[in-house]
Amino acid sequence: MKFFPLVWAGIWRKRSRSILIFAQVVIAFTLFGSLQGLNSAIKQAVDSTHADRLYVGSRLRFGTPLPISIMARLQATPGVVGATYRFQFGGSYQKPTQNVPIVGTDVGSYLSIYPELQSEPAQVQALKRTQDGAIVGIETMRKYGWRVGQRITLQSPLPHKDGSRDWTFQILGSYRDAEQPEQSRLILTNYRYINEAQAGQPDTIAFAVVRIADPTRAEQVEQAIDRQFANSPNETLTQSEQELAQSQVENLGDLDVVVHRITAATFFVLLFATGALMMQSIRERTPELAVLKTFGFPDPLVMVLILSETLILCVAGAALGLWAASRILPLARNFIGLGSLPLTVVAAGLGVAVTLALAGGAIPAWRGLRLRVVDALANR
Amino acid sequence: MHGFRQSLELTITGLRSLPARFGASLVTVISVITVMGVLVTMLALGQGLERLAHTGARPDRVMVIAAGAQSSLASSVSRSTLDKVLDKPGIRHDAQGKPLVTGVVLMVIDGVTKMNRHGSIGFFAAGPQWRQIWPNVQVVEGRYFQPGLHELLVSQRIRSRFKGMDPGDTVKARGTAWKIVGVYKDTGGFFDNSLVADADTVIAAFPQTTYSSVSVMLQSPSDLKTFKDAVTSDPTLSANVQTDDEVNEGVIKGLRDVLDFISYFIASLMGIGAACGALSSLYAAVDSRTREIATLRAIGFGSGAVVTSVLAEGMILAIPAALLGAGIAWLLFNGNVVVAGGLSFHMTVTPHLVVISLCWAIAIAAIGGLLPAIRAARLPVATALRAS
Repeated sequence: MKFFPLVWAGIWRKRSRSILIFAQVVIAFTLFGSLQGLNSAIKQAVDSTHADRLYVGSRLRFGTPLPISIMARLQATPGVVGATYRFQFGGSYQKPTQNVPIVGTDVGSYLSIYPELQSEPAQVQALKRTQDGAIVGIETMRKYGWRVGQRITLQSPLPHKDGSRDWTFQILGSYRDAEQPEQSRLILTNYRYINEAQAGQPDTIAFAVVRIADPTRAEQVEQAIDRQFANSPNETLTQSEQELAQSQVENLGDLDVVVHRITAATFFVLLFATGALMMQSIRERTPELAVLKTFGFPDPLVMVLILSETLILCVAGAALGLWAASRILPLARNFIGLGSLPLTVVAAGLGVAVTLALAGGAIPAWRGLRLRVVDALANR
Repeated sequence: MHGFRQSLELTITGLRSLPARFGASLVTVISVITVMGVLVTMLALGQGLERLAHTGARPDRVMVIAAGAQSSLASSVSRSTLDKVLDKPGIRHDAQGKPLVTGVVLMVIDGVTKMNRHGSIGFFAAGPQWRQIWPNVQVVEGRYFQPGLHELLVSQRIRSRFKGMDPGDTVKARGTAWKIVGVYKDTGGFFDNSLVADADTVIAAFPQTTYSSVSVMLQSPSDLKTFKDAVTSDPTLSANVQTDDEVNEGVIKGLRDVLDFISYFIASLMGIGAACGALSSLYAAVDSRTREIATLRAIGFGSGAVVTSVLAEGMILAIPAALLGAGIAWLLFNGNVVVAGGLSFHMTVTPHLVVISLCWAIAIAAIGGLLPAIRAARLPVATALRAS
């Protein structure tokens, strides 16, 4: 520890260069952290799904309308212990860009299939009694400053039977998604209200969700459900929550691959540039290394001093970069729908930083130390 | 003129000493090449998408969609809308005097690609007038479908990307089999990602009871305003009119936003990184030439000329590097087919993108060169002359 001032002085020997190296490290790791973080966050989202929930959608494409009459048969399927459904459409509040998803469902069964959505039972009871009532996610409540008891009107491309596109809801309560609080965005309302009023296809749903007793038998239940509707006008495709999340990720397509490769290329070029800069700055200090040796510093100690310098620069830079990434990631939520920096990415990043410091410091230091002191002093 | 000659001389002497600082300069050049290569590659994705949206778009073809619908996919209009649109002004009529108007059903269905992945296929269905409204859709193999029969046309690209899409194959949808009877030529637009069928046959077979939109061919692009006003002012309609370009922009908007965000986010970070690299290499350049610059100042070269020469050195390194980066992006990626957000399109490197990358490179060189240039100009001549 007594050598710390020496290391510190070494770092600040050429102030501008050290700052630049530091800045480059920060940038490289911000890039690494945000893109790698996004990737891992997507993977995490796919993995952290609930294995006991299955989604029944149209075989044509998930979300294509299915008649609500399928619900009775779904509930009667062996292995199914609960079922709910969703009719969904988009509304916009005041401005066309302020979109709020509206979900018409049986709120009681919906909340029991999604236990992570927390709400007050009294509010849910009130919703069951109020035709045009709604329970709104806290995130949306906060964003538009809505309060319980307020009546709100949204515009929607889905018209009423009389042609009007204004949908009015009475906010009776709010819910919070305990697993992903920032995803508490829906307006949950009574299916019967939407269904009676809307001019589109009546008595349809976008998809159904069933809970199964035994997640290990998910595949059998999936097949049992799809078999019931095979060769009917409403063929279904039943998927686990994980498969559904996976297919949404797949929808990004090649984008994922392109971005991945580009990031890898960029990251290594930035590292290479930084490493080269570090090597150069250590090489310029060969005479100083010789001075230390003249004073009787053993080679290993000089090596440790140099490596401490590069380590401090790289690890501090990487830490700052990863921190910046963790601040930036939530911005991407608007596009991808999730985002927090997983610890594995942080660990990997710091690992790379240490490697960079060792490579950038050790090679020139080792070369410098091998020289005869006289030659090194003269910088020959 | 005097100052210019001084700058020129100084720049040339500076460049002569480049080989002595080969390593640091090479690092700068490589980072600029990478940054610009990446920027151009990412922007080529957005550009390809843009081209997909605008190829084949006509100013005299418009779409009537539900008011408030974000895109034609999210729209739904009733049969009565079609009837009410028919007598609006500005619509073109064919030789038999029929108005060129058709209801359109637009859906997206899932398919399995030849690489066994899930992929999206557009499912487009229109009425009997459709061949006059989209004359660019030309069948090159097989024949056109017959209204009333469950028959489909497939694009060349969908046929080559997906399994079971050859003429004679059947596509199962809603418990009924649809037979592929013809293949149409790719035109570089949205139709390349689609199947085509007869709208009324689709509505009869599916539980769907409404069209997505109504497409109209106008007499000329100048009739747009007349037609649009007539539709939007009709209180019984509650519909909006969009041109081909507007409709297509709506379809790609979501993906476009993601692409732009990622492109500029990555490029900004990398740009700052490259500027740092340029900064340190030019600082090194100034440092190694301390005595030389001081000598020149002593014999009468102005500090303005010194600043210019350092900045010029940055530009001379950055501009060819940017062109090289854009060139590599063009070589590796131009024309590559990518699939994203359910659409497949060609990555497109345009001259416009090269210009963007040049502007970025100049900005990077300016940022990286300014501080070292100022340091060089402010060197105290007497002390600098004694520098080792």
